[in-house]
Amino acid sequence: MDASATFTPAKPDAAADEAADRAAARLAAHRRARRRATALVILSQVALLAAFLAFWEYMTVFDKQTAFMFGSPSAIAGFLMTMAKDGSLWRDTYVTGVETLLGFAVGNVIGTLIGLSLWYSRFVSRVIEPFVIALGSIPIIALAPIIIIWFGTGLTSKIAMSTLSVVIVALVTSYKGAVGVDEDQINLMRTLGASKFQIFRKLVVPASLADIFAGLKLTVGFALIGAIVGEFMSSSEGLGHAIFKAGSLYIIPKVFAALVATIALALVLTFIVGKVEKLLMPWRRLS
Amino acid sequence: MNAVDTPAIAAGAVGMAPAGTPPLVVEHVAKSYDADGRIVPVIGDLSLTLNEGEIVAIVGPSGCGKTTLLNTLCGLIGADSGRIRWHGREISGQPSGVGYMLQKDLLLPWRTALRNVMLGLEIRGVSLSDAEERSHVVLDKLGLHGFAEHYPTTLSGGMRQRVALARTLVNEPDVLLLDEPFAALDFQTKLLIESDTARLVRESRRSVLLITHDIEEAVSIADRVIVLTKRPTRVKAVYDIALGTERTDMIAARESAGFVDYVRRIWADLDVTRQ
Repeated sequence: MDASATFTPAKPDAAADEAADRAAARLAAHRRARRRATALVILSQVALLAAFLAFWEYMTVFDKQTAFMFGSPSAIAGFLMTMAKDGSLWRDTYVTGVETLLGFAVGNVIGTLIGLSLWYSRFVSRVIEPFVIALGSIPIIALAPIIIIWFGTGLTSKIAMSTLSVVIVALVTSYKGAVGVDEDQINLMRTLGASKFQIFRKLVVPASLADIFAGLKLTVGFALIGAIVGEFMSSSEGLGHAIFKAGSLYIIPKVFAALVATIALALVLTFIVGKVEKLLMPWRRLS
Repeated sequence: MNAVDTPAIAAGAVGMAPAGTPPLVVEHVAKSYDADGRIVPVIGDLSLTLNEGEIVAIVGPSGCGKTTLLNTLCGLIGADSGRIRWHGREISGQPSGVGYMLQKDLLLPWRTALRNVMLGLEIRGVSLSDAEERSHVVLDKLGLHGFAEHYPTTLSGGMRQRVALARTLVNEPDVLLLDEPFAALDFQTKLLIESDTARLVRESRRSVLLITHDIEEAVSIADRVIVLTKRPTRVKAVYDIALGTERTDMIAARESAGFVDYVRRIWADLDVTRQ
């Protein structure tokens, strides 16, 4: 009696284990298939890039004229090596990176603070709306000469250019996020007895985070453009300076080499923003 | 300490009113909207009373201004005329001790279930540890033990609505205003949450004003059903529901003898004509 009582449950357990194993196997197979699909995408991207570079190299290898006009991947790689060796690559990337980051930070902090706080007053936001649109429509490059006059030819003018490229976008995206908060959600907060500041802090700010981050991703590029335009106008270092100098000396491969560094910088900065976004909004990963 | 069963907020409001004063009295309330210069009357002339510990359901044809009524009662919008008295007093702004729940759960996606429930306590400045403890108690009562740290996106619709219910109940409101809170749920989930809601509000003698388009829900859960007319809204009929069963089990209520008769009569009152 005792023996059978302890023995019988073992059977259904074994069956359950087997079912669980099968389910786990199915899941693993599904995961493998998904990983394989991702690998195929990456492989295709690498192949596309390789084909493009090979075509470029092939077109320039026999023809000096074309090589002069368009550079060639091997020449670009050569310039990257020498620039890395003499340290100018790191120095220029560092300078432009600092300008971009500072402009990005200052512009986004100012823009986001103004954009969010405009939620507080419908009146104030209506008053300043046309001015924001007007400022937003100014091509930043048109301001460059004035910025140089105001802030000099050093780091400050590049940060100012970068900030100006960012601030309006940050303002508009964060304001859009703040006023887009569900009216029912605000009513709920009110029935819970929340003050306007509590509604702002506990609801409006976190609810706007998604839009703010969309703005951040967009403005990484804008900040970099601002810094490079600033360097074009007047500078003694930075990637924009390197591009401008090599361009005016007709050293096309060097222009491309500096461009490669610029693209790398943009990718790294975008990657960091994406990581911070995931860190600050863990609930979005789960949906 | 049993936080949920001690109506702390209610005590202040009820204490001032003489015993037996109904928590909510609505007298001749009217409300119109201005649509492109035209005055559209939404609520014509509405009076109703919600007694202590009573569940009253309001049913009406679609678009009869049920939500407008609820927002007016909450003090979110002002009435054009008439009087709304909470515990015998007219107040401006939001009444205290009133919980509000909609069809949308309105959970904050960046807060876990527990932190969503804590929202009202946090706003009122209750200490964090106290708020956490009380929220855990209510979540447990609604069968959400073990889901406190889940984000809303990882919960099912029924569980999300339970969290929303917990968020309402943790504030110990003496009156709950519910605007079709179960309408988006599947039938089985709906019956279970309705039963839980009825059980929790009846055992702590809270009052409920439930706005719904679901006649069966109204009859099974409420002590009284008020049928509204089309716009401009007035009270068309009032039914005192006597089903002779324990009114915390929605399945038993729906199987009771009188149930179908009430549903049929209210359905006739609503006068839904096929077009």
